[in-house]
Amino acid sequence: MHAHIQQRIQEIINNLDRLPSIPDVASKVLTMVNDPDVAFKAIADEISKDQAITTNILKLCNSAYFSKGKEISSIDRAIVTLGIKEVKDIVVVAATREVLNKIIVGYDLARGELWKHGIAVAVLSKRIAVLKNKKSIADIAFTGGIIHDVGKTVLALFVQNTFKEILELVQTRQIQFAAAEKEIMGFDHQEIGENILNKWKFPEVLRSIVRHHHQPDKAPAEFLPIVSIVHIANTLCLMAGVGIGADGLYHELSDTAIKTLGLTNRELEQLYGDMPQVLNQASGIL
Amino acid sequence: MNTLINVGVSQMGASSSPTVLRTILGSCVGICIYDRMKKVGGMAHILLPNNPGDGNPEKYADSAIPLLIARLVRDGANKEFLSAKLAGGASMFKFNASVTLGQIGERNVEESKKILEKSNIPVLEHDTGGNTGRVIDFFLEDGRMKVKAGGQEKLYYKV
Ligand SMILES: [Fe+2]
Ligand SMILES: [Fe+2]
Repeated sequence: MHAHIQQRIQEIINNLDRLPSIPDVASKVLTMVNDPDVAFKAIADEISKDQAITTNILKLCNSAYFSKGKEISSIDRAIVTLGIKEVKDIVVVAATREVLNKIIVGYDLARGELWKHGIAVAVLSKRIAVLKNKKSIADIAFTGGIIHDVGKTVLALFVQNTFKEILELVQTRQIQFAAAEKEIMGFDHQEIGENILNKWKFPEVLRSIVRHHHQPDKAPAEFLPIVSIVHIANTLCLMAGVGIGADGLYHELSDTAIKTLGLTNRELEQLYGDMPQVLNQASGIL
Repeated sequence: MNTLINVGVSQMGASSSPTVLRTILGSCVGICIYDRMKKVGGMAHILLPNNPGDGNPEKYADSAIPLLIARLVRDGANKEFLSAKLAGGASMFKFNASVTLGQIGERNVEESKKILEKSNIPVLEHDTGGNTGRVIDFFLEDGRMKVKAGGQEKLYYKV
């Protein structure tokens, strides 16, 4: 373990200014949606205060993936037509694009690859939730999918210098990449992601998805199903090469996740075979 | 300048020198076929080994390869001068042995080899298996294949 690297990462985490930022509206909407006493009108007003993001949100509302056919020209209409959960997802897409849509050096991801990966994992997570009769959490699975690897945006710089050591440890100790990240640098991209979400004031369920997406069995019992969904979606996207970087497939496909969701071999292969469709849908959001 | 064509998941690309065909692979297999005399070639990016007959021939090794060969012949390639290179077919680092999804990478490689053999096209080089992702560039000026995996680059020249 490199104590100086661990210390440098700790400094970044302690100094919130050095972690990536997103528009405030995202956390406000995430909180308001969960509060049954908040009227839709109040949420629409909150979003509309941020003009730049409102323009992006309306574009997304009318994109192939989210559109219900009718042209949407205001946030009020969007909530009525698409529903509040869908609009909340769209807010998160619009708010996180800038942070995620960039080159991620240490993991060898070209510009846009991590963004495409997050959106593909989001779309596939939603599909898995619907397939396994968990429609009520499909929207949260979608949000979690978008941001699950956000920690990579910060850890990448350190991975760049320690990549060889990490990979060597993966092979000699037969541990997955994220575990080796932690051994070498004191942190893995999941923990850093959790810290970023703390800064963004995102709810516990999303923090849990980000924190445990490579080891769902470590997630608190109440979040195990949703963490499992994002874990499986992430695995399938990586296998299809979507957002696969220098860490490759040096990850574990969790049996706990498969059993938790009750996925059969046939269903898993079918979901993997659906990847061209998933990518097609995702391209409507990019 | 070389034109770069990105070949997506379960897509196919074909062109002539000096075009470069690129794709990114996990468990999928990239099949690169080249006519060294005419300098035309193509790449198929297959997701699964066997076509159940669902109308997406590019997605499966057993239907994509014959389709790619036919396409190259139509573009002026001579079947006698065709040779192939394979890349991809990686697997997850750890998975329960009873999960068949874990073997998809290997099955993709096996089926691709089988179909190429049936079609009398020699596989001259392959960079397959393991747990790495691969970015491959297939240069139609001379048929070489560049594989970038885990931060390292390898070149395969045989045509
Ligand atoms: Fe990850
Ligand atoms: Fe991921």
